[in-house]
Amino acid sequence: MSKQIITLNVNGERQEIAVEPRWTLLYTVREALRLTGSKEGCGTGDCGACSMIVDGRLVTSCLMLAAQADGTEVTTIEGLAPSPVAGADGRLHPVQQAFIDTGAVQCGFCIPGMIMAAKTLLDANPNPTLDDVRLGLAGNLCRCTGYTKIYEAVLSAADRMR
Amino acid sequence: MAKETITRQEYRVVGKAVTRIDAAGKVTGKTVYADDMHLPRLLHAKLVMAPYAHARIKSIDSAKARRLPGVEAVVTAADLPPHRKNPSNRREVLLAEDEVLFYGQPVAAVLASDPHVAEEARDLVRVEYEELPPVVDPVAAMAEDSPLARSPVSEVDRTEEKGHIATGVEQREEQGKPSNIASEMSFKRGDLEEGFAGADAVVEGTWWSGMVHQSYIEPHVTIADYDATGELSIWTSTQAPFYIRDEVSEILEIPETKVRVTATEVGGGFGGKIFLYETLVAALAMVVRRPVKLTMSRKEDILAATPAPQAVVELKTGMKADGTLTALQARLIYDSGAFPGAPMLPGCLIIGGYYKCANLGIQGYEVLTNKVSVGALRAPGAHNATFAIESAVDMMARKLGLDPLEVRLKNAVEKGDPLPSGQPYPAIGLKECLQAISETAVWNERRDSRKHPNRPDGHPPARGVGLAVGGWLGGLQPASATVGLNGDGTINVIVGAADITGTNTSFAQIAAEELNVPMSMVNVTTGDTKTAPYAGMSAGSKTTFTVGRAVKLAADEARRQILEIAGHRLETAPDDLEMKDGVVRIKGSTDKTLTFGRIGHMSTGFAARYAPVVGTGTITARRQAPGFTVQIAEVEVDPDTGEVTLLRYAIAQDAGFAINPLSVEGQMQGGASQGLGIALSEEMVYDDKGRLLNPNFLDYRLPTTRDLPPIEAIIVEVPSEDGPYGARIVGEPSIVAGAAVIANAVADAAGVRVYDAPITPERVLRAMGKIKE
Ligand code: FES
Ligand code: FES
Repeated sequence: MSKQIITLNVNGERQEIAVEPRWTLLYTVREALRLTGSKEGCGTGDCGACSMIVDGRLVTSCLMLAAQADGTEVTTIEGLAPSPVAGADGRLHPVQQAFIDTGAVQCGFCIPGMIMAAKTLLDANPNPTLDDVRLGLAGNLCRCTGYTKIYEAVLSAADRMR
Repeated sequence: MAKETITRQEYRVVGKAVTRIDAAGKVTGKTVYADDMHLPRLLHAKLVMAPYAHARIKSIDSAKARRLPGVEAVVTAADLPPHRKNPSNRREVLLAEDEVLFYGQPVAAVLASDPHVAEEARDLVRVEYEELPPVVDPVAAMAEDSPLARSPVSEVDRTEEKGHIATGVEQREEQGKPSNIASEMSFKRGDLEEGFAGADAVVEGTWWSGMVHQSYIEPHVTIADYDATGELSIWTSTQAPFYIRDEVSEILEIPETKVRVTATEVGGGFGGKIFLYETLVAALAMVVRRPVKLTMSRKEDILAATPAPQAVVELKTGMKADGTLTALQARLIYDSGAFPGAPMLPGCLIIGGYYKCANLGIQGYEVLTNKVSVGALRAPGAHNATFAIESAVDMMARKLGLDPLEVRLKNAVEKGDPLPSGQPYPAIGLKECLQAISETAVWNERRDSRKHPNRPDGHPPARGVGLAVGGWLGGLQPASATVGLNGDGTINVIVGAADITGTNTSFAQIAAEELNVPMSMVNVTTGDTKTAPYAGMSAGSKTTFTVGRAVKLAADEARRQILEIAGHRLETAPDDLEMKDGVVRIKGSTDKTLTFGRIGHMSTGFAARYAPVVGTGTITARRQAPGFTVQIAEVEVDPDTGEVTLLRYAIAQDAGFAINPLSVEGQMQGGASQGLGIALSEEMVYDDKGRLLNPNFLDYRLPTTRDLPPIEAIIVEVPSEDGPYGARIVGEPSIVAGAAVIANAVADAAGVRVYDAPITPERVLRAMGKIKE
């Protein structure tokens, strides 16, 4: 299939990528850029595991075609921490650290998307109530945690970011 | 937080809430799951799936698909390498050969270097079918004159089920006249007639619970590579690497020495990631001699993995006015789908396993239909049975004007009481869980929930509180582990169990505890089947219970070896030594010391004086450590829409000894949420032709953040006899109670009883008489 060149700014780096018309943003980022932190849980916009921030908006990247994203700024889970060296040195984003500390991470498959959704929520509303958190994460499924510790993580991240 | 039921021994590391050792990789997106892996020359497989529930394959035409540029091969059953076949064992039916037995059954595989091309080619494969009558309803399927779902079944292989639960009971395979009943079993105790005659209240009903899917967020992914020397490597998202090795080796007739199974990080399993298409993918790799990856889409996964069965449970129970349970008669019908393997046996044990009851009669049936065959889902079979017995207990209590919690306390099983099989319970904590729930705010404020101000529409709110018991017996399998001292004094733990619940974190705690070092000095690795010491599958809630014991033994052995070297070096008896934070010293002395680093060096360096420190722990587990839970909900029922809103939820569970309370709470909350999905929204809906109508997350509704309030987790600790530090099974019990809890809460709120789960708005309205046929 013929390809088209698009330009994406992914996690602060400009990328020119030859994409097929049928490639989604998720597929492009995972396969062409080998940034595999974003996950596919459904491919139909129902689980949120593929969530990325595109031009400041939370997007289910499995539903967005790469060509539609041409010229945008994309942040994936890999771009969240300034230097995502394994935990110990405190260089994680406060949302990431809060997820670890509250025990909100189990299998981890939903977590990249969940963290992107939580970050978007907190950027828009730095003082969320429990109800705000429940509403803000409604597009992200987690099968492992029952969400309780995820609520705690997001509320604790809000505290940390104040 | 952990509740003191028995004076809890204090330890340095175990029993303390710690964060997971694998969490940093997961929050940064660095953790590698199977689909994140890429191999040179990799081919992507896509499955051609049958569009009928029951049909004969007349022909397969793949010429057009093969011609699509980029397609490497189209493989049908006829093209597979020689392998062992057993039509009654789904694991040995790699692709449908002649008869299609369920909607979505793989019929052929298309291989291409680009997944999109493989998908395009898949749609070009033409399969001609002759439709056969589908058998969809398990109860109708039991009738003598029902059409058969499939050719008769023989030689049922039950090894997988045994990983989940150890029962000591064999079930009877059906022999004789062909029928859809694959197996049946029964338990009897006392005299039922006498039991019912002595009852002051008798309750009878039929409870139905729908087919549900594990719905791990990561769909199944497997990669296989077969190289020129005959070595087969498999990377797969599985809970059971050694089981897969054994099966693949047997089915493809390759020695176990030549099969390496690596369990990649599991993005959720819950019993659904034991074994699926690993043999098929391996066989495809053998055909093309290139690495092959199968990544299932969500739709394919819901259609053709191993979901949990629907069950019909007929139950009659009797109770005396003082609350004594006098009789329990049950008939449980599990819909196994197209291959045997339904969890009828655990269902039969569970339904008569919560309460003392002198008179029991329990019958179980496993029935074949033309649906995808079922597998395990967290405490397989238990939630179906529990929905019935825990609804019935509430109904009897209500009839007799008794307190539902008191009634349960009065009859609850304790150590020594028999299961329906006659086997006595070891130490268990059901009563303690009931006690814990009696102290929650939800329970103590239950009368206030009625006094809530009117709803915006002017109706009084229909609020109510319900509770239910859940339990699981747990699996048993041998396990082993090694604990070694590195040259720099740090500790390596190697296990063969896939970490699906944070078990590696608990193993780090155990090794740190035994060696009296901080956890930061310990690393835990899950090896592959060629390098790791053997462990059973991570299923049946037994990983910490069994592998944890092996790690503890291995650490104790490493400790002994360290002390021996130190004793030799410091010229004193090992008994006179103590160790702390990686330093060995003569008791009470401060100058005669030796660090682990020094000992590590002296046992690994060039011309080292001492042999390396490697402790091995091997165990076999013969006695279970069953886990009980009691859960309670406050709900509001909308009288117009029938919608049930969950307001508060609490769960108490006996963990024996919570090695890591943080992850125990997480298991309790996660399992409870899955039970609530079963209770409120999850159901695989089939039409009368056996076609699944909702294979996606829009129509198959998992609980979301809007549905679930925070779940209060209360850890109860009644130590088990055999588990490390008294730990018992944890993972599974939490899923079991949900449907009964919600049914009881709805009955309390709205005065109606719902017998079908999920308890959807429609079913509530029906129970209220607001919808008629
Ligand atoms: S993978 Fe995109 S929403 Fe599920
Ligand atoms: S942690 Fe497993 S799906 Fe959320």
